[in-house]
Amino acid sequence: MDAKRRLMCMAGTILLAASLAACHSGSGTPSAGASTKLDGTGKTLDVFMGANTIYPTQQKQWFNDVAAKFKAETGANVTFETFASANDELTKIQTSVLSGQGPDIYLLGTTFTPTAYATGAFLQLSADDWKKVGGRDRFLPATLGISGPDNDHQVGIPFASRPFVMAYNKDLLAAAGIDKPATTWDGLRDQAKKLTANGVYGLAIGYADGFDPWKFVWAMDVQAGNPVVDGKKARIDDPTSLTAYKTYLGWLANDKVVDPAAVGWKNAQAIAAFGAGKAAFLPMVSGSSKVTLDKSAVAGKYAYALMPTIPPGATSLPKGGVAAASILSGDNIVVAKYSKNKDLALALINMVTTADSQDAYYKTFGDLPTNADEAKKLQSDPALAAIVDSAGKSKGTPFNGAWSQVQLALLNVVVQSIPDLSAGKVDEGKLKNLLSQAQSTAQSALDKTQ
Amino acid sequence: MTTGAGGNTPVPVSRRPETAAAEPVGAAQGKRSTAGDAVAGGLTTPAAVPEAQPARKSKRGRGVTRRQRPLWMLAPGGTLMTIVIVVPLAVALYISLLDLDQYTFREWTSAPFKGFANYLEAVRSADLVHSIVISVSYALLVTVITLPIGVAAALATQNAFAGRGLVRSVFLVPYVLPAFVTGTVWHIILQPGGVGNLLLGHLGVPNGLWLNGPRSFWALVIVQTWASWPLIYLLTLAGLQSIDVTMHEAAALDGAGWWAKLRYVILPHLGGPISLGLLISFLHNVNNFTLPYVLFGVPSPHDVEVLPVLTYVESFQNFRFGLAAAMAVWSLALIAIPLAVYLRVVRLDVGSDESQRRARR
Repeated sequence: MDAKRRLMCMAGTILLAASLAACHSGSGTPSAGASTKLDGTGKTLDVFMGANTIYPTQQKQWFNDVAAKFKAETGANVTFETFASANDELTKIQTSVLSGQGPDIYLLGTTFTPTAYATGAFLQLSADDWKKVGGRDRFLPATLGISGPDNDHQVGIPFASRPFVMAYNKDLLAAAGIDKPATTWDGLRDQAKKLTANGVYGLAIGYADGFDPWKFVWAMDVQAGNPVVDGKKARIDDPTSLTAYKTYLGWLANDKVVDPAAVGWKNAQAIAAFGAGKAAFLPMVSGSSKVTLDKSAVAGKYAYALMPTIPPGATSLPKGGVAAASILSGDNIVVAKYSKNKDLALALINMVTTADSQDAYYKTFGDLPTNADEAKKLQSDPALAAIVDSAGKSKGTPFNGAWSQVQLALLNVVVQSIPDLSAGKVDEGKLKNLLSQAQSTAQSALDKTQ
Repeated sequence: MTTGAGGNTPVPVSRRPETAAAEPVGAAQGKRSTAGDAVAGGLTTPAAVPEAQPARKSKRGRGVTRRQRPLWMLAPGGTLMTIVIVVPLAVALYISLLDLDQYTFREWTSAPFKGFANYLEAVRSADLVHSIVISVSYALLVTVITLPIGVAAALATQNAFAGRGLVRSVFLVPYVLPAFVTGTVWHIILQPGGVGNLLLGHLGVPNGLWLNGPRSFWALVIVQTWASWPLIYLLTLAGLQSIDVTMHEAAALDGAGWWAKLRYVILPHLGGPISLGLLISFLHNVNNFTLPYVLFGVPSPHDVEVLPVLTYVESFQNFRFGLAAAMAVWSLALIAIPLAVYLRVVRLDVGSDESQRRARR
């Protein structure tokens, strides 16, 4: 009976939510205060963000600090709610949007921002709103790349940046006579081949991860000049995609530079393998891997570099190719349209995106700042150079309400290729078949975009 | 009787078969009061369901006639049932007729009406048919496999022996573990290079992929069997307890051996609990979401793309809420089949004419 119950719960929530929404739409939001000094006494802002599993106690401390500071500034209380997974986040957004009540402020992953935008449930920032959060100029231009479809329709305020880079084992590279990581995917493959010996593999790849695979494919596609989503047209069955998948899967199947067990690895297991010194390169990790790696056997022996930006089969960026070093990754802050405390919410966002706040946040959690002044300061730190560099060279994934579906279709190709991969082969016929399936799934999702 | 309850919702005609079929089992499974059946039945299908009540009454054979039953006393339960079951079901049915997605869900009542297009799309997509096949075949397999294990375990712990309490508790461990935990643990065991492959390697089974590809189906069967056999065990044990001791004594006096005792004394008494166990087990397997979700993740490998996971992906990953609701309704219809069979078999729904016939005899 579970499915039925689940269905009912869902329907029940929706129904209750809908009736609540109806109540709310009548009451309307209080007009924006005319006075410049905000008085939030007696009001409460609710903030919804991901639980930080690496620094749980620090996060709690940060919540307290922010709340205390905001209380001193405006007299308003701030409460924080956390979610454990993207699914929790999505469910919360769905129920809140339907009921018209819930958190005032959400922190969203960058790739989810287009979907959130498509719901129309979040505040589009007017010029005046931007002023209230400290102005657009406060932020690194690249980090604004996935805040909205264009400058006039932005919902996301960049809060933290987590660009992807590649970690490499300095000792292993030196021993193989490689002075620096390759900047082309072909070059990386050749270096990896050289480094694969004695139980050590060239690359550590999480083939079973729920996100990593599509990021590789997207990057290689974009570099080859295929944006994957071109206006309202999906381009997954493009030859560049086939090449991307063949390259990505071929590392294990043909080049044998990845541990065969990696067909079952998620990102964390790839990090663990690299941390144990069993792989020379670890592509597609963010700066947060530093915490794990600094406690591992390779502490002090590894460094970060940009991932290759020249697509497979090429020695230079082809015409139309974009040298994307990473997807534009991190967190955006959005304000719910139903919030009755819009100005207070913007004031809070203003407070947490100042250079000082971002400095404190970076020092505690390792996420790069989106504040331009603060980011400039970090550029001089050699340990961070590659990550900061990647932040500037990150490209936003297509800003389309159907992106989540496209992303899932891209991922599904890898999931369904795992059995072949495990048998040590990449079947081009099957791969083409999967790509055309993904293409039609993605296209029908894009057809529905409004 | 049904004032508060019936007035609230316009009840689409198409809902009737589901409610009629689903209600009595709700009662059987969850030991909900039979009042619920009668009310829900009385609400919606005046003809088919409420006969369970008169059947019982006529057996008692006196007192209140059908007309005089104080049905208004069922109103509180009926109202609750309406709020908890009928209204949400009606909403879900309504949603299944809408083109509800991420673009429209903010004002879902004004989402475009699609009629039965979602149902057609669901049936036409190869995914739904494929996942129904997967779901049903895996559920049947698990049900069949758990039957002998559960019965054997119940028989083994029927007679008192030192440490029986402990063994009985241990038997329940797989059942009381949250599916999330079971899934996570088995995921670790079964991953490439994990303990599972290591052990199988010692037994001469070649290493392989258990969490994707053809073997993943068997992984699902094995793990679900492990997690669900105690249900059959529990119900069988309950059935065994209800067999009078004197039956055993009489059989022993007649010189029946253990096999004869099992075959002619015990098993005939277990028919009821076991068939109930099989039914619940099958439904539970068909509807199992957490285990395949945790074991294999989404998007699901093709060989284990079960119905609940597919529905989940459609609604919460692809945001096709209308389509997913239609899929859920299809799965409800699917579940109604074994239910109907079960109700036939245990005759919970014997028609009034039959009970009257019996009464006349």
